[in-house]
Amino acid sequence: MGFWNLWRREIGPKTAFVSDYEKGFKKRIPNIRAIEHLDFVVLDTETTGLNPAEDFIVSFGAVKVRGYAIQVESALEYYLDTPKKGREAIKVHEILYHYETYPIRDFGRDVLQYLGNSIVVGHHIGFDVAMLEKTFKPFGLSRLQNPILDTLNLAVRLEKGPHYDIRGAKPNEYSLDSICMRYQIPLDDRHTAPGDAFLTAQLLLKLLKLAESKGIRDFEALMR
Amino acid sequence: MANVIVNRVKEFLRRFPPFSFLSEPLLLSVAREVEVQFYAKGDFLFHKDDLPRKHFFIVKEGSIHLTEKREGKSVVLEFCDEGDVFGVLALLGKRPYILDACAAEDSLVYGIPVSVFEKILEENQRVSLYFAAGFASGQVVVRTDLSQSQKARKLFSLPSQDNGLLIFTGQSDLNYSKNVLTCEVGISVGEAAKMMKEKDVSSIIITDTSKFPIGIITDKDIRNRLVAEGKNFDIPVESIMTQPVMTMQENSGFSTLYLAMIKNRLHHLIITADGTDKSPITGILSDHDILLSQGNSPSVIIHALLNTLDVKEMAKLRDKAEILLSYYLENEVAMDFVANIISEINDLIIKRAILIAKEKHDPAHPAEKNTKFCFLSLGSEGREEQLLRTDLDNALVFEDVPTERLADVKSYFLLLAEEVIEILLACGFHPCPADMMANNPRWCLPLSEWKGQFSSWILSPNQEALMHATIFFDFRAIAGQKDLAEALSFHIYDQINEKKIFLNFFAKNALLNPPPLGFFRDFIVEKTGEHRDKFDIKLRAMMPLADAARLLLLSHRVVGINNTFRRFEKLAELEPQHESLFLEAGKAYEILMRMRALEGFKSQGSGRYIAPGSLGKLQRQLLKNTFAPIDEIQKIIRVRFQVDYLLS
Repeated sequence: MGFWNLWRREIGPKTAFVSDYEKGFKKRIPNIRAIEHLDFVVLDTETTGLNPAEDFIVSFGAVKVRGYAIQVESALEYYLDTPKKGREAIKVHEILYHYETYPIRDFGRDVLQYLGNSIVVGHHIGFDVAMLEKTFKPFGLSRLQNPILDTLNLAVRLEKGPHYDIRGAKPNEYSLDSICMRYQIPLDDRHTAPGDAFLTAQLLLKLLKLAESKGIRDFEALMR
Repeated sequence: MANVIVNRVKEFLRRFPPFSFLSEPLLLSVAREVEVQFYAKGDFLFHKDDLPRKHFFIVKEGSIHLTEKREGKSVVLEFCDEGDVFGVLALLGKRPYILDACAAEDSLVYGIPVSVFEKILEENQRVSLYFAAGFASGQVVVRTDLSQSQKARKLFSLPSQDNGLLIFTGQSDLNYSKNVLTCEVGISVGEAAKMMKEKDVSSIIITDTSKFPIGIITDKDIRNRLVAEGKNFDIPVESIMTQPVMTMQENSGFSTLYLAMIKNRLHHLIITADGTDKSPITGILSDHDILLSQGNSPSVIIHALLNTLDVKEMAKLRDKAEILLSYYLENEVAMDFVANIISEINDLIIKRAILIAKEKHDPAHPAEKNTKFCFLSLGSEGREEQLLRTDLDNALVFEDVPTERLADVKSYFLLLAEEVIEILLACGFHPCPADMMANNPRWCLPLSEWKGQFSSWILSPNQEALMHATIFFDFRAIAGQKDLAEALSFHIYDQINEKKIFLNFFAKNALLNPPPLGFFRDFIVEKTGEHRDKFDIKLRAMMPLADAARLLLLSHRVVGINNTFRRFEKLAELEPQHESLFLEAGKAYEILMRMRALEGFKSQGSGRYIAPGSLGKLQRQLLKNTFAPIDEIQKIIRVRFQVDYLLS
């Protein structure tokens, strides 16, 4: 029974911070709330691989967006220790061993508190959400309850209309790299979790403005 | 922890002055506070005359034009692109912006909070020189060499105290028309109206044969006293004119003129050579002229609120009111006046919000839209004591409807309330953490259910019921049918009359808050948590007074006075034997309100927690003096309501 069995366990007993997190959702976000009054958390994770069942989060970066502005003060980043050193991941992210790794439990507590009931945003966010849910399982979280917004889907919706089938797009047309280039966002700090979160946040600002010009102004219209 | 995002921002700032002058740790602390903002082409960052935002700006990418309107066209005065800094002057001088700033293309802009920078300005002379140079050269700070800055240095002093918010601005600002349209008595109303039309004015002064003013006719008089009465317009002007007229001398000073108009509810004031109506007319002053000269007075804010249904505009106006408030507080303007003005503005915002909400939702709810309702403010806003935009507490009552209609009507009102609350949040108010708001199904009820709710609190006064009673008993009707609120008030008094023991429980509750001073006459401060070592002025000083005033007045069965210090005034009248104590308590409450609001401004928060160490000796003494009546009043309550004999 090593410490790492923690990872494999099914949903663990519910910890206090998970209950606190869940309490935050008693009240839903009103549909009519204007986009500029919504709270977003833009996040990205770097992992040991692409399979949420087997892989682990290596680093996590996030930043808050409200009122069409990124609050740099809110920037958050964590480096975690993992039982598996994915050769591929190391090649991509060049994180071999970060000296400031953070205990998983504290990571869970801090991240859930940070997310609150904000709208969670990311590029290919489904994967990050799956990774986070797997990581928080041992602490009694069954799923993230935040509204989820994928910048990839939002970009497709804004550029090609709501009924476009993503399979018709050119390969990589909607990768973070090519979207950022299309929206003139300089690709700094690519392939670090906080760097990608910051890029995605800048992308979100631009997409939200574009959405506004198309009449998407409130929570309901944005999340449809 | 090294932070990739902060570093990214820092590396950008480092390339441009004045940031290039900063040391590594300082630069890092600035970068940490940056807000990254995106503006689409054509978006405005700020407009001329807007109040300064919290940030000044540096362009990250794209370009921003600073423009000015000249003869209706906007002229670009400055082009700002990567690395240019702008919006500084307004911030440091705490004055409104003097130019418009508009994104000429999609632009990413870093907003740097001025609070961070003020500290740096004090510490770093090169930076302050840099900004001083900007001051000297005019409007915008652009990248410049340091050489021109020497002479400018003395210009850079502390932010100006002159915030343009005097209640009465200088006389020089007052423009009134000196060309006054007059006519002599005896001519017909029809002819007078023709003259008014020709000159395109809304009023005409009627004079006697020696040209001295005796009356005035306005558009309104013609409407109300002629057309609506069905009179013929051949009748002479003197038969419908308003008389006598109020006359004043031109050099009476603005405040005298203004007060004369306010006191007498006048729309027009006639200026004569010697100030009496026995001398020739030299001018006419209308309330409109006053509005124009008063960029920031309460009347301008109220007038502007009455003329907008744009939420962003409403939010801006509420921000203006906040500046007005800080001016009033610093200048020791009487508290009841200040509280009145601010409540008036808050109420108006709620009324406008309801109007907006009804316009939006009524078309889809033809069957529900005419149901009578009343929007209630609770807690401090109900007591007309909410100076800062702290938590919202409100509720909604609607008339009883047949049971089968109840669900529809209630969901309509919840919809309205939700819209109203969203507008209030957009105007800078904070949501109630306990969700005591009209969009909560528990607090959006028909009259009969409200009565039942109040009855149950009165009949079974457990801890929760008493807690609710302290908040809900201070309700005040803001908009809609006030008789619904009155019906509720009378119900409460009837119920209390039937169950007098409730007041004893209520009294016990009023004594629950801990005393403000310890055994050694020092402040009792919070022992743990975020506010450790701070004094909770709301819980320990204000609530005991507010609770006592509510309880005592309730026991006298007096309706309709909500405000704590006015409650104490009334109590002083009702109980002459305690007159001086109650008057002192009212005064104490005013002082506490002022201190809390000032603290709120200083800490940019609710002002609830004060660090005793941060107060000067005099202020500390003042605060302690306010506690004396609390103790006395609590003693009276303890005896009068036999609190010590109650089983808890």
